[in-house]
Amino acid sequence: MAYRDKKGQIEVTFNWVYILIAGAVILLFFFGLVFKQKAVSEQNLGNDLVRIMDSIFTGAGVSEKTKNFIDLSGLADYTLYFDCVDGVGEYGLKGTSARVENEVDPLFAPREIKGTQLIVWSLPYKLPYKVIDFLFVTSSNTKYFLFGGNTGVFDVESFMNSTEGFKRDYVTSEQYKSIDPGKNFQVRLVDLSGDIIGKGKEVPEKLQAMDNNKVTAVVFRGSNQVDYYQKEGERWTKLNYNTPVQIVSLGGERDAAKYAAIFAADDKVYKCNMQKAFKRLKYINEVYSGKAEEMKIFYSSKTFSKECFGYIQEGKPNLIDALSSQANLLQGCFKDNTLSNCGKLIESAMEIKTVNDNLGEKGDCITLY
Amino acid sequence: MTINKKGQMQMTETIAVLFIFFVLLLFGIIFYYKYQQVAVKEKQEELLAARAMDTTLKMLFLPELMCTKREAEPEDNCIDVLKMRQAKATFRKYMSDYYFGIFSYARIRVVDLVDKQELVLYDKEKTKVLDNGTMVGDWEKLEKTYFVVTLRDEIKGQGEARYDLGYIEVGVYS
Repeated sequence: MAYRDKKGQIEVTFNWVYILIAGAVILLFFFGLVFKQKAVSEQNLGNDLVRIMDSIFTGAGVSEKTKNFIDLSGLADYTLYFDCVDGVGEYGLKGTSARVENEVDPLFAPREIKGTQLIVWSLPYKLPYKVIDFLFVTSSNTKYFLFGGNTGVFDVESFMNSTEGFKRDYVTSEQYKSIDPGKNFQVRLVDLSGDIIGKGKEVPEKLQAMDNNKVTAVVFRGSNQVDYYQKEGERWTKLNYNTPVQIVSLGGERDAAKYAAIFAADDKVYKCNMQKAFKRLKYINEVYSGKAEEMKIFYSSKTFSKECFGYIQEGKPNLIDALSSQANLLQGCFKDNTLSNCGKLIESAMEIKTVNDNLGEKGDCITLY
Repeated sequence: MTINKKGQMQMTETIAVLFIFFVLLLFGIIFYYKYQQVAVKEKQEELLAARAMDTTLKMLFLPELMCTKREAEPEDNCIDVLKMRQAKATFRKYMSDYYFGIFSYARIRVVDLVDKQELVLYDKEKTKVLDNGTMVGDWEKLEKTYFVVTLRDEIKGQGEARYDLGYIEVGVYS
């Protein structure tokens, strides 16, 4: 009897040990499954997010001059990052492998965005014909402060009207020192006069407690140059060490290149994205050169007066030469990434514009664009 | 003897339980695998449709093709034929450098319904090389979308803008 009882006891203990081990293995298996699934879900979320962002940017990019406000409240804990190196843009979810590379679309944004609402706005870049749409990306907790008066360099009123819904304020130069960031994630100051912010000058007191990379500034120098600054402790430090950043634009209302300078994180991001625009300009210039050749052949026939032909080939300036000059200048522009040689593109663009206006208004001819 | 028999019974019972457990597990795995296969296929189709829409959208607003007037203001759903003819050569010349980044694997065709003419602007097919060295298409489906446009040709109109009716067919290779 004693023998049978002992055996029974061992059997019962063994069963419990067996159940415990098997239970632990099963539990471990399911825990493993849950953790794996969590990682997969996060990866999928990241991938879905960048795919959706890509679609949104495509949509926003083609629908000219539209603003899109995108709710990000479900992703408030995640940080979106934007970068551009050597003409290749990249954006994605920070800390994950979810990212998209883009060599085509110029996207001007802060380096990081973390908030509940993403704002996407597109404006066409023309030189003088449309080259590409610039995409400006910001958030509802990125605040822009403009100051320095209406110097003629920048149309403040037009900017304020165009950016309704954005977090931006126009303050007087006297109010500069008391600028308050509020609860915003980051702040961008825009000095239109060019003499308020400078290397070594003091950062407004209420901004000093913020992280250095969350307080940046862009300073307009003259009509077509800007400098970028970032807070370093209590002082401003210049980001573009040597030369100011060249703005290549024909001016006017809603100047895409100037607005891009405000929304770009720094000089490197700005130049990198402008490189994308100039690359596209090269290809579009070829298309327009081909069109100009067809126009030349068409107007060289005796049926038409010589006026149109003159605007296209014989006059000064003429379309063929102006387009050829733009193509040559673009070669020089690509030689270095400082954009310093690209400034000359403005002259050739002005020439093309003049000829195009002459074709349409004076000669009643086919216009280039 | 009785104990041995009981032990044998228990062993058979355990084996039977394990067998049923593994059968159920196998069913589960097969079911999950089939479900995943269908889900992946659906996702692929969804992505392909989205890519087709994106490509069409990009195509319609391409500065290389779109009609403009005055200060380069765009004319909606209009293609400038003079530009289009040059764009075809430019797309081909810079296909791998640049335009593949915009259109990816796709075939873009513009059809003039008035003159009954068509122009393939861009065609980049997914291909593979067989063992014997021949190159063949490596795609399963060509998802097509269509969009009605006007085609502006000032040379056909003898200096005046002439607008023909046409459509764009954008097909993306899966």
